[in-house]
Amino acid sequence: MSEYGLSVGSAEIGSAGPIAFGPDGILFLADNAAAKIFAVDVADPGEKSEAEPFDLENVDERVGSFLGCEADDVIIRDMAVHPSSHNVYLSVQRGHGDAGQSVLVRIDRIDGTVAQIALSDVPVAVVTIADAPAEDDERLDITLPQGDEGEELEIRGHKIRILRRPIRTSTVTDMAYVDGSLLVAGLSNEEFSSKLRRIPFPFTDDVADNSLEIFHVSHGKWETAAPIRTFVPYDGGRSILASYTCTPVVHFPLSDLTPGTKTVGRTVAELGAMNQPLDMVSFFQGGEEHLLVANSRHGLVKISCRDIDAQEPLTEPQEPVGVPRETEDLKGITRLANLSEGHVLALQVDGDRRHLRTLKTASL
Amino acid sequence: MTEVLWSRCGIEDCLRFRDLAPGSVVHVRPGGSFDPDLPPMAGRLLHDRNEVCFVPRFPFVDGTAYGVVVDGVATTVIVRPRANLPLTAEVVEVHPTGGTVPRNLLWFYVSFSAPMREGCAAQHVGLFDGSGTEMIGALLATEHELWDGHRRRLTVLLDPARIKRGLVGHLKANYPLREGEAFTLVIDTGFHDAHGTPLRTRYERRYEVGADQGGRVDPNRWDLSVPPAHTHDPLDVGFDRALDFGLLGRCLHVKGPDGGRVEGSPEVGHGERSWRLRPATPWAPGPYRLVVNPILEDVAGNSVDRVFDRDLTRSDDDPRPAGAVARTFQPR
Repeated sequence: MSEYGLSVGSAEIGSAGPIAFGPDGILFLADNAAAKIFAVDVADPGEKSEAEPFDLENVDERVGSFLGCEADDVIIRDMAVHPSSHNVYLSVQRGHGDAGQSVLVRIDRIDGTVAQIALSDVPVAVVTIADAPAEDDERLDITLPQGDEGEELEIRGHKIRILRRPIRTSTVTDMAYVDGSLLVAGLSNEEFSSKLRRIPFPFTDDVADNSLEIFHVSHGKWETAAPIRTFVPYDGGRSILASYTCTPVVHFPLSDLTPGTKTVGRTVAELGAMNQPLDMVSFFQGGEEHLLVANSRHGLVKISCRDIDAQEPLTEPQEPVGVPRETEDLKGITRLANLSEGHVLALQVDGDRRHLRTLKTASL
Repeated sequence: MTEVLWSRCGIEDCLRFRDLAPGSVVHVRPGGSFDPDLPPMAGRLLHDRNEVCFVPRFPFVDGTAYGVVVDGVATTVIVRPRANLPLTAEVVEVHPTGGTVPRNLLWFYVSFSAPMREGCAAQHVGLFDGSGTEMIGALLATEHELWDGHRRRLTVLLDPARIKRGLVGHLKANYPLREGEAFTLVIDTGFHDAHGTPLRTRYERRYEVGADQGGRVDPNRWDLSVPPAHTHDPLDVGFDRALDFGLLGRCLHVKGPDGGRVEGSPEVGHGERSWRLRPATPWAPGPYRLVVNPILEDVAGNSVDRVFDRDLTRSDDDPRPAGAVARTFQPR
């Protein structure tokens, strides 16, 4: 792993964020408390295999049982499938508030057993994604910590321990690794910007200028910026389809994503009113590439990549708008991941419980 | 019969077993479950004072029941006591602080007196119209809550798809706010602090809704009240509109004749319509510059650089060239 700049250390996660696999089974793991992304060698013990369909009912209850908490205290922040063993990785926040802990778990795809992934004394590399540097922002909220967090100060002979944390934060909402770059979308708690970061991997020290702004044009008249909620690379990584918090679905070529620039994407669809994109994945069906879009209001949306490429920029703001789509009768899906060429793994909410379900791409 | 009780093993919380047969297999499951299909709670058995302790890998959760199985036999359900803490956390401020907001207001900042629990904002923060009816869909229901580093300040967005002109959300559902109609932001006591304790009191703030706020933020329209030289009098800056409270904290600086930053105590005025800097050392007679980071936004998301939603047919809305903006002033 030294060729990727990983060395033995710890990935201490304050708030579990998105995860994504990179080269050679390296897992990228975002910490949304510290605005950092770790690259971790997860040392997956599984053998390389073809992926069979994998279903697991009440995955939140099973993970909670292992972690010693009820399903309501299990927040599954993201899901990824190991590219060769096809074991399932979940980024989990266990509990809330002060009792909250970030945990990375692996679910064995053969027997469904749950295991915790070690994040201490493992090969790891880290990059900070906050806008650099903090020179213009000295605002730190200082509190007295519980336990031994923070730093010790000596004031007039008295030792006190304080904890400094930034008021401005960045929340990673999605990540994908494409051809030597980690693409990172996120939200700021103070700016409504559409920054996408393109971070070289192996990580380098030069992180000052890894972001670019992606604008999109709505209906030929309005140019807007908004945070990208989720995105998916396709066409061998040459194209990106991104969905915004305000629901336009926008195409742009990866080659346009040059840090420090502004890019205008081509709006090819809208997901509709009072809706939120949640996750996207690409798959092949009959030799043609398609995309699945999980969203908060409708069933899965399936879009043909050929239609995206043929779609003129939207000019009429009427529904149905944009590329031809099929809304699948699969609701409550919050996360998607490629399981194999013929299968997509979905995390589905059904009432109060969450399940892992395999979708056959041939029948989508 | 094996007795099971809450205890400590060294510095760690544990379940202590009395009269446990040597070599026994112990499984503990949350939810008071004895279900053998569920994985047992991760942990280890340790011997302590001739007794056996189950020390969990992850801490026991207050208020949770644990089912204990010994050698395949359901033995007991034991509930972790919940600490009975006093209610202390409350909302200390909400920004914007002005009484009237534009119809295209983009977000609120809600500041709490203590670190809060994540994941419950959508259920416990809401907007209500003049008749007391909740304005469903006005706030953006996002799974990513936007907290500061200590989880004491929450950013709450109105649905941007309903604010951005030209989008389906805007055309179908229109603005979340209605000009001329008042509304109330409510944070109810179901919002828990980091200890899991409810808020001490419900918080309400009423706003009137005015016209849309459009156009880029233009620092050349601000009024500067220049202090005399050789004094600690403040520099007062009056804005032509309410600006974003969060960004005001870091987007305005004053640089002195030597190019260095003027240290002092900045203050954001009521309604986020003014800003004041009282210098740590007296003003010199030379020229000073009020430097504005162009990401500074108004409360509707228009920045110095660009407008929130740009009408491509209007050149007024064109983005300005990149770079900081400065206003020069000269204490005399």
